[in-house]
Amino acid sequence: MSELTVVEPFGDGFVAALGPELMLFAGLLVLILLPNLGRGTFRIPGTQIRLPWLLGGNRFKLTSDPRLPSWIATITLTAAFLNILYIFSEGLDRVAIMTESGKEILLVNGFSRVFELIFFGALALASFSSMNRLAVKGSGSKLSEHELYNNRRQGDFYILMITCALGMSVVALAQDLFVLFIGLELASFSTYVLVAFLKESKAGVESGMKYFIVGSVASGVGLYGLSMLYLWAGSLQFSVLATHFATSGTTALPLIGIGFVLVGFGFKVSAAPFHFAAPDAYAGASSPVAGVLATASKAMGMLGLIRMLLIVAAPESSDGSAVWLICFGALAAVTMTWGNLAALGSQNPKRMLAYSSVAHAGYMLAAITAIGAWNWDAAVAGDAGTAAVAVLTALLFHLVVLVAFKLGAFLVLSVLESEGGASSLSSLGGLAKREPLLAVSMFIFMISLAGVPPMAGFLSKLLVIMAIVRVAVGDMGSEIAAGGAFDVGDFHWVWWLALLMVVNSAISMFYYLRVVVVMFFDQPEEGREGPLPSGWQVRTAILLCVLTTVFVGVAGNGLLELCEMAANSLNYDW
Amino acid sequence: MAGSENSVTVHSEWMEYAPLIILLPMMSFAVILFLGRVFNGHPFWKNTLKEGGLIALPVMAASLILSLLLISEFLKGHSAFDSLFETIPWVNTAVWNGGAATDSVSLGFGIYVDHITVMLLFVASFLCLLINTFSIGYMNTDPINDNRNHRFYAEFVLFCSGMLGMVLADSFLWLFIFWELMGLCSYLLIGFYYERPSAASAAKKAFLTTRIGDVFLVVGLVMLWDLFGSLNYAVVFDTYNIEQVAAHSAGTLQWALGLMFIGAVGKSAQFPLHVWLPDAMEGPTPVSALIHAATMVNAGLYLVARMFPFFGADALHGDLDDLAFIIASVGGITAVMAAAIAFVQMDLKKVLAYSTMSQLAYIFTGLGCAMYLANTLDWHHDKDAHYIVIVAFGAALFHLFNHAMAKGMLFMASGSVIHEVHHAHHHLHHHDDHGDDHGDDHDDHHDDHFDAQSMENMGGLASKMPITATAMLVGSASIMGLPLIGGFWSKEGIIANAWRVAQDDPRFFLPAACVLIGAAMTGFYMSRMWFMTFAGKPKNEVAAHVGPTNTWIKTPLFILTFVTLSSIILAGMGFTHWASDTSYSFLSERTLIEGIVYEMDHAFLNSDAFFFILTYIAIFLGAVVGPGLAMALYGGSLAEGETAKPWMRPVLRLSAWMNGRFYFDNSAFRDSTFAIALQNRLYIDEYYDKAMVNIVAGFSNKVAEADSEVIDGTIKSIESGSQSLSTFVRSMTTGSARDYILMVSVGTLVIFFLIWGMA
Repeated sequence: MSELTVVEPFGDGFVAALGPELMLFAGLLVLILLPNLGRGTFRIPGTQIRLPWLLGGNRFKLTSDPRLPSWIATITLTAAFLNILYIFSEGLDRVAIMTESGKEILLVNGFSRVFELIFFGALALASFSSMNRLAVKGSGSKLSEHELYNNRRQGDFYILMITCALGMSVVALAQDLFVLFIGLELASFSTYVLVAFLKESKAGVESGMKYFIVGSVASGVGLYGLSMLYLWAGSLQFSVLATHFATSGTTALPLIGIGFVLVGFGFKVSAAPFHFAAPDAYAGASSPVAGVLATASKAMGMLGLIRMLLIVAAPESSDGSAVWLICFGALAAVTMTWGNLAALGSQNPKRMLAYSSVAHAGYMLAAITAIGAWNWDAAVAGDAGTAAVAVLTALLFHLVVLVAFKLGAFLVLSVLESEGGASSLSSLGGLAKREPLLAVSMFIFMISLAGVPPMAGFLSKLLVIMAIVRVAVGDMGSEIAAGGAFDVGDFHWVWWLALLMVVNSAISMFYYLRVVVVMFFDQPEEGREGPLPSGWQVRTAILLCVLTTVFVGVAGNGLLELCEMAANSLNYDW
Repeated sequence: MAGSENSVTVHSEWMEYAPLIILLPMMSFAVILFLGRVFNGHPFWKNTLKEGGLIALPVMAASLILSLLLISEFLKGHSAFDSLFETIPWVNTAVWNGGAATDSVSLGFGIYVDHITVMLLFVASFLCLLINTFSIGYMNTDPINDNRNHRFYAEFVLFCSGMLGMVLADSFLWLFIFWELMGLCSYLLIGFYYERPSAASAAKKAFLTTRIGDVFLVVGLVMLWDLFGSLNYAVVFDTYNIEQVAAHSAGTLQWALGLMFIGAVGKSAQFPLHVWLPDAMEGPTPVSALIHAATMVNAGLYLVARMFPFFGADALHGDLDDLAFIIASVGGITAVMAAAIAFVQMDLKKVLAYSTMSQLAYIFTGLGCAMYLANTLDWHHDKDAHYIVIVAFGAALFHLFNHAMAKGMLFMASGSVIHEVHHAHHHLHHHDDHGDDHGDDHDDHHDDHFDAQSMENMGGLASKMPITATAMLVGSASIMGLPLIGGFWSKEGIIANAWRVAQDDPRFFLPAACVLIGAAMTGFYMSRMWFMTFAGKPKNEVAAHVGPTNTWIKTPLFILTFVTLSSIILAGMGFTHWASDTSYSFLSERTLIEGIVYEMDHAFLNSDAFFFILTYIAIFLGAVVGPGLAMALYGGSLAEGETAKPWMRPVLRLSAWMNGRFYFDNSAFRDSTFAIALQNRLYIDEYYDKAMVNIVAGFSNKVAEADSEVIDGTIKSIESGSQSLSTFVRSMTTGSARDYILMVSVGTLVIFFLIWGMA
C-alpha cells in the first residue's frame, strides 16, 4: 500500500488525482456544446454586421447527427473506465483531498476506484447500447430511422448519463457524509429523469413519478438522519463520526441518525421494504436505464451502506457484534426471500429482473451482515481482518460481475423492446429460432444470475456464501479443518443467512430457467417471427457482457485480486 | 528407478516442443471434422485428402518425429527428466477460498518423461502412424464409409492425442483426464457404424464396462490425493513423501492402489471386466488395432507400471505384496480363460481379441511378479536383487512392446484378409457391377448374411495374400513365443519370473501355473487361426477368389514384420534393462553382438537347472504341443497350382504332413458342454445381464418411483406453495406511491426498533 498523499482542492496534484472524474466533466461540457454547434451568428447591436459564433442556428451535419451525443457519452465513459484500468495497472496512488483546515473531502484509493469501475463500465455499456434504441414515442412503438434522427432530446439523455456517473463517482470518493449526500442526489436525480425519460408513454411518466416520490421520501428521511448526526457530532466527516461513535455510539441520537441514513441507502439498493418503487421503475424505464439502476445505482447504494456501517458505525467499536447486526440480518433475509418469491410469479421479464435484483440486494446485505457479525475481539483481530476482507472481496466481486450479466440481460430485453416486446414473457417466445445468438446470450446471463458454474455468477455467489460461512464458523474454522468435532449450534447465526441464500438460489432457478424454456421451446408470438431490429452497438455490448461473464467465471483470478486489493484498502482505512 | 532419485532437469530445444505431440493431433481433430463437411461436396479435395486421411497422416508423422526427438534426447541423458517445462496452471483453488493462497490447491499440466514414458510414447506414436496408413487403404476403399471417413479420422486423431497425452502427463490427474478422453473416443469409434444395433450396443457396453473400472480408479485417485495432497508424479513418487505416508497409512495406500488397479482391469479388459473387448470388434478394423495394440488396453498396463515406484520404495518394503499377488493372479486367470475361449472362436477378429486379453494378462502377471520382487527384495542395496527386479519389470514392459507391435500387425493383417474376402464376395455375387466396388449399393452390405470375418469362409489364402500371410505368420509366432522371434524374449522372462516368485511365495503358484499352461494354449489357438485362414484348400468359392491387397495396407504390415523380427536386436541391446531402470542405457553393458550372445545364452543355456528345464518346458508347450495339435486338426497343403512364398512352404508342408499323420476327431470335445460354454464366453455376459436386469434395473425402478413420488412430489408442492406465496407478495406491490411510502415508513420504524433493541 502506497503512502497517502494529501492534496488541497485545486492544489498541486489535484488534476492528476482526479483524472477520470475530470475527464467526465470535460465530456459533459463537450456533450452540452458540441451538438449545438451550428451556423448561428451574432448581430452587433445597432448594425447589420453579423459575426458567426457557431452556436445555434442551422446545425452542421455532423453536430446534428442524433448519434453524436451517444458517441460522446460512450467515449467519455469508456475513456474514464480505461483510465481507471490504466491507473490500476500502473499502481494506484492513494490521494486524499483535504481542505486547508484539515477536513478530508475526497479519498482516492483502490476501494473507490473499483466502484468507479462498476459505475463507468455500466454506464458506458448502457449509453453505447442506447444509441439506436432510444424510443421517441414511448416504449411501445417501433422505431423508424426518421423518428430517431430528429430526436433533439438525445442530448439530454446522455447528459443525464454523465451527470449520473459524476454523482456516483463523488459518492465513491466522498469522505464526508454531506459530500456523499450531494453526490447521491446528483446521481439520483439523474436517474429519476432517465426513468421518466419516455415522457410520451404513460408507463414512463408514471414509473418516473413513483420512483421520484418514493426516492424523495427516502432521501428526506436520510437527510433528516444526516442532520441528527451533525447535531450529535458537530461534523459529518467519516473520521470524526467514527471516533465519536466509538465513544458514545450507543446513545439515542446517533442511532436514530444512522437508522434514518440507512433508509436512504436502503432505497438505493432496493432492500425490502423500500424496494416497492423499483419494479415499477424498471418496467417503465427503457431497458438500458433499468440495467443501470440494477447495477451501478445498486452498487452506489451498497457503497453508501458499507461506508456507513463499516466505517461510521464500525463493528469493532461495539462490544461483541455491531449494533445494526440483527436489523441487517432481518433486512437481508426478508429482502432476498421477498425478491425471489415476487420474481417467481412475474410475467413481465423486466419486473422479473427487478425482483431478481431485489433478491441479489438481499444476498449482498447478508454479506454486510456477516462482516458485522464477527466478534471483534482484539485477541482474534488478525483473523477478523482477513475474514472481513474475504466477505468484502466477495461482495465487491459480486457487484462487479453483476454488471456483466444483469445489465447484459437488460440489454437483450432492450433489443426486444425496440420491436415493442419485452413487457411480457411470451414476447421472448422462440427467440432461439429468431436470434440464436441473442438467445444463447440470454441463456448465459440467466444461468449466471442463477449461479450455475462456470459462469461468473456462480463464482460470485459461491464466494459470498463461503465468506459468510467462514465468518460464521469463526475461529472454529481451524479446528474443523483439522478434523475436530463441531456443532452447528456453535456457529454464529449468520450461518443461517448463508443457508437461506442457498435455498433462495434454488428457488430462483425456477424463474431464470423459465425464461430459457420460453426462449428455446416456445413458438414466437404472432407477428414476431423473423429476426429482431438490427443495431450492432447493442449487440456488441451484449457480446462484451457474455465474454466477461464466461471469462470471469473461468478465470476470475485477476479480478478477484483486484477486489481483494480494494477490500484491503478499505480495511486499511478502518 | 523412481524418478525422484535421479531426476535431472535437462534443457534442450526439443523439449519445448513436447506439448505439440499432444496438441497437433488434438487440433487436427477440429480441422478434419470441420473440413470433412466442406470437402464432402468437392470430389477433388475429398479424393486428394482421402477424406481427411492425408491430413491425419502428416500430423501423426509429426507426432512420431517429435516423439523420436524427445526419446533420443532422453536416451542421451539416459535419466529421468520430469517437468520438462513450467507446469501450465489450470485450476487454482485460491479463487474458491477468498484469495487465501495458504490452503489452496493448484492443478496444472506438465510433461514427465522417464523410461516407461519413452517406451510407450514410441509404441503409441509409431503404431498410430502405421494404423493411420493402414486406415487409408482400409477405410477409404469401402463404399459403406463413403462421406463419413472424416468422422473416423477426426475421432482417430483425438484418440491418439488422448493416448499420447496420457503417456506424457506428469500427474495421475491428467493421466485420468486423457484416459477418459480415450474412453470417449473408443465409444465413438466402436460405434462408428452406429446404424447397426450391434455396434451401438457394443459401444455402450465398452463404455459402461470401462466406466465401472473408472469409478474405482477415481476413488483410488481421491484416496491417493488424500494421502499425498497431490497427484503429481514428482510429489507422490518422492521418497520422502512415500516415507511419510508409509509411516502411518501403508494399508490405505494399498487400498488406493488396488482401486486404481481395478480401473486398469477395466481398461485393459481383464477378468472380470473383460466382456467389452470382444464386442468392441464391431468397430472398423483399424479401430480394433488401435484399441487393442496401440492405445486403450495399454493404458491400463501403463497405469499399473506407473505404480511401480510405490512397490519399489524402501519405506513400503513388504507392505504391498498382497496387491502384487492380486495383480499377478488376475493376470494368470485371465490368461487361461481368454485363451480357452479363443479355442472355439470362428471369427478371425474375435480370436485376436481373446488373444489380446490373454497376452495382456501375461503382462499383468509379469508386472505383478516384478512388483512382488521389488516389494520384498532389498533391491536398492543388494546388486543381485536389483538385477532380478529390473529384469522382471523389464520383461513385462518388453512384452508390452512386443505384443503391441505383433498384435497391431495381426489386427491389420486380419483387416486386410477381411477386406479382401469381403471384396471377393462382393465381386463374386454382383457380377453386374463388376469393377465398381465403389458403387453405391449400400443396402447390399447390410442385407447379405455372408460373414467376411468368419474363418469358415477362408482357407488357402497363403498364396493369394503373400505379404499378409507372412505378417500374420510372424505376428502369430511372436505371440506364441516361438524361439528367437519377437515375444519369445519377453514371454520366457515373464514365465521364468513367475516361477521365481512362486518359489518365494507359494501363493504365486497359481499365476505361474496359469502362464505356463497359457503358453501351450496360445500356441494352439494362434496356429489354429493361421492354418484355418491361410493353409489348406479354400473352404468356399469366395476364398478362392481373394485378390492381393493394396499398398496402403501392405506398407505397415511390411514395416511391422521387420520390427517384430528385429526383437532379438532390441533384446541384445538390453531393452529389458533400460526399459525398467534409468541407470542402464542402450548398449551400456555390452556391445550388440555380446548382448545377443548373452541373451541367447541366458535363454537357452541357463546356469540354474530349474530355469533351464523351465525354459524348455515352456518352449515345448508353446512351440511344439500347441502348434502340433493345431496342425493335426487344421493343417493342409494349398490347392493344386497354388504356391506360397518359399518361407511359408515348410510350414505348410509340415502342417499337411501332421494333418495327414495325426488327424483325430475332435468332435467329442467340440460338442461337449465345456466347449459350448466356451463358445458362450463361459456365460459371463449372461450373468452380467441377469445381474443388471434383476438387481440394477430393479433397484432403479424403485428409485424412479421414489423420485417421482417423494422428490417430484416435494418439488411440486414447494413450487405451488411458492407460487401462491408469490401471488401474495406481489399483491403488496399495489402500484400506488402512497402505499410504497407507507411501507418505507414501516421499514424505517422496523430499522429503528431493531437497532434500538440491539443497543
